[in-house]
Amino acid sequence: MVFSSIPFLFFFLPLCMILYYAVPFSKKKFSLKNGILLIFSLVFYAWGEPRYIKLIIFATLVDYINGLLMERFGNTKGKRTFFLCCSITVNLLVLCFYKYADFLVNSINGIFDISLPTLGVKLPVGISFFTFQTMSYIIDLYRGETKAEHNYFDYLTYVSMFPQLVAGPIVRFADINAELHKRTITFAAFENGLFRFMQGLFKKVLIANQIGALWEELRVLEAAEISVVAAWIGALAFTLQLYFDFSAYSDMAIGMGEMLGFHFNENFNYPLSSVSVTDFWRRWHISLSTWFRDYIYIPLGGNRVGVPRHLLNMFIVWFLTGLWHGASWNFVLWGLYYGVLLALEKYVWGKKLAKLPSICQHLYAILIVVFGFVIFTFENAGEMASYISSMFAAAGNPFFTADCLWYVGNYGVVLLVACILAFPVYPWLKKKIQFLGNGAGNALSVVSMLGYVALFAMTVACLVSDTYNPFLYFRF
Amino acid sequence: MLQNKWMRTITAVGLTGAVLVLMIIFFFLPKQEYSEKENRYLATFPEWNWTDVRSGEYMGDVTDYLSDHFPFRDFFMGLKTDAEMAMGKQEINEVYIAEDDYLIEAYQTPANTERIVETLKNFYEKLDTEKLEVNLMLVPTASYVHADKLPQFAPSLSQMETAEIIYEQTGIPAIDCSDRLLEQADTDRLFYKTDHHWTTYGAYQGYLEYCEVKGLTPVALEDLSAETVTTEFYGTIYSKVNDYSRKGDEITIYTNPTDDLTVRYIDTEETSDSLYNMEYLEKKDKYSMFLDNLHTLIEITNENAESEDVLVLIKDSYANSMVPFLTTHYQKIYVFDTRYYKQGPSKFIDEHPEVTDVLLLYNMNTLDTDTGIRGIY
Repeated sequence: MVFSSIPFLFFFLPLCMILYYAVPFSKKKFSLKNGILLIFSLVFYAWGEPRYIKLIIFATLVDYINGLLMERFGNTKGKRTFFLCCSITVNLLVLCFYKYADFLVNSINGIFDISLPTLGVKLPVGISFFTFQTMSYIIDLYRGETKAEHNYFDYLTYVSMFPQLVAGPIVRFADINAELHKRTITFAAFENGLFRFMQGLFKKVLIANQIGALWEELRVLEAAEISVVAAWIGALAFTLQLYFDFSAYSDMAIGMGEMLGFHFNENFNYPLSSVSVTDFWRRWHISLSTWFRDYIYIPLGGNRVGVPRHLLNMFIVWFLTGLWHGASWNFVLWGLYYGVLLALEKYVWGKKLAKLPSICQHLYAILIVVFGFVIFTFENAGEMASYISSMFAAAGNPFFTADCLWYVGNYGVVLLVACILAFPVYPWLKKKIQFLGNGAGNALSVVSMLGYVALFAMTVACLVSDTYNPFLYFRF
Repeated sequence: MLQNKWMRTITAVGLTGAVLVLMIIFFFLPKQEYSEKENRYLATFPEWNWTDVRSGEYMGDVTDYLSDHFPFRDFFMGLKTDAEMAMGKQEINEVYIAEDDYLIEAYQTPANTERIVETLKNFYEKLDTEKLEVNLMLVPTASYVHADKLPQFAPSLSQMETAEIIYEQTGIPAIDCSDRLLEQADTDRLFYKTDHHWTTYGAYQGYLEYCEVKGLTPVALEDLSAETVTTEFYGTIYSKVNDYSRKGDEITIYTNPTDDLTVRYIDTEETSDSLYNMEYLEKKDKYSMFLDNLHTLIEITNENAESEDVLVLIKDSYANSMVPFLTTHYQKIYVFDTRYYKQGPSKFIDEHPEVTDVLLLYNMNTLDTDTGIRGIY
């Protein structure tokens, strides 16, 4: 089930919330609210992936049991390491089997020119997210940064919690442990959460989906005929689509978390307004980059080692970051692209860059990001190469054709809105309004509240239209 | 700032309330079985079945059910179109918002030209062309004829270039009415503004071209009796766009008073003396009044025909509005819909030596997307 759909918005979510608020929090051993949340989360997951519900139960059981064993028998570092390794190995095997097996087979086939059969495993939704969550639990436990969870159902509730199950943010057990067992639910938090959720919903449906349609139109054009400007508009459109889509999911997750009484960490901080690649990765998918930082980069020694070793560490981290995004070489390439650029900023031009006028820094960062997402989106190397060649007129593409005006005419408004909202304009405006005094502030709050209502109606209109399916049988 | 806080609370309660109210309305609203606008049956609630649950099919069906019966669907779809048009969108669901109130379907890059050529060629080569006069008529749609009405900068592909390729490679003698249609484009009478079909007047232009190529004397439009049967035809493109401010189209039908017709629908074994079924005028898809919508095979006999010739017409729905002009010239016309007629018209032609003419008539837009043409051979 996706958040931005009629069944979720009008049936699943309200039913879940009504029951969730209706039951009391605690019963002796197991919180009823957690119970409701768990049942709904499992239904949520099973809705799209009924076969893999067993997988999520298996994966969580492994970590839960290893956690208990580590607590009970882990009196020496060696034993603790043993349980840690057991748990991590199972997690990685699960992840590798379901996500990377066929990729590995195909790569081996490609390298050695043989034809091993592929397994045809269907990727379980959210596997990259929940395996990383369970690993954060066992590693934190190993490091003594959190306590072992004694109640399996509470642990399963944490991992399977539907707001963050399929698309993040990657919530760490240590961050949420306290709230998992005791949390306060207030109307103010519900209200905040609701507005946050709505913002995410609007971003997804009214911006990401609309711009996605533009990208779909542009990406299928003939590589030799598409003009340079149209190719760049396409790449920008994809960048905006991905940002608004992904950050919208995080907004919705954080919002729903708040409505349920949880506080998840922020996952995006206006990454398209970055001034450097280093800055970009502090703002983009924060829960993932900090995961890699804390569990891989720093244990490897981080940057407190010699330059060659540091470069190796960076290579490992960015190879894995790329690979995490998908079982295909273009994602690895995308990760390494950032690894190289980060190394260059660290050792070559970072300081010079910081002295440039800020507009140049923004331009530098956005060009790198937009170009990077072209690598990200084409799994097929040939298609990627031909699209990139169109962006640089390598196939003798015209610089500009009248087509561009057609796309700009059709999508200009939503592109403009997206470009503006990709910068922290909204919080800036909010702050300005606070200084305006009560009269103007109240007037604006009326406007913005009416805006919520209008945008919600528009969102429903878009979702309903998606289901509209005219079967025009007499057109034969 | 107190008022601000109140505003927030009111809005939060309002939005939550709206969600709950819509959910409650859903449960109490009587469920529609059939959507006339979409021309399809809406989803029904699936029966509980453990196998379907495990495969996920059950959940998919529930999702469809919830979406199909959502309250105020028409209102919301209209709202989306209004907003898109307000934001300057000139293409909605692959339909151009064209000038002079025309809605015109975009012509997609053809993908099946090779396969179509092969099918038609096979069909043609099997026929005894010494005995039979065979013709192929590929009719351009509004996006070609009214290219000047399309929004500025709209990408438009030439349909007739593809048609040329098909004419040339199949070797079937062509009847190309595109120039005649272009000449008449200024009349604004050739295509419906809300539907993808040509009007009867447009079909008459096609008929004139047909007569010229075949050496027949066309019946003058004045000699036919014309009747405007509706002014409220909201066609397929209207259904795609959902701009409710549009006006409906007129449908004018022509009858030749000298014809004495018997129309036999072979599949349903019904017989009529008219080419039109007026009952469809009460419904949404009024175009179906021509030749009673869909039939695998129709036999039209004209006792007062000017010759004893027999025509086999293999066609799509464009031909349905041209048949009323053709009846005068043929004692019998067999009309095939190759999507449903599985035995293949070539066998039929072999078994009926009295057939003298074969006409294949398709419009360029659906020629490529429709799979029915495979049934021809």
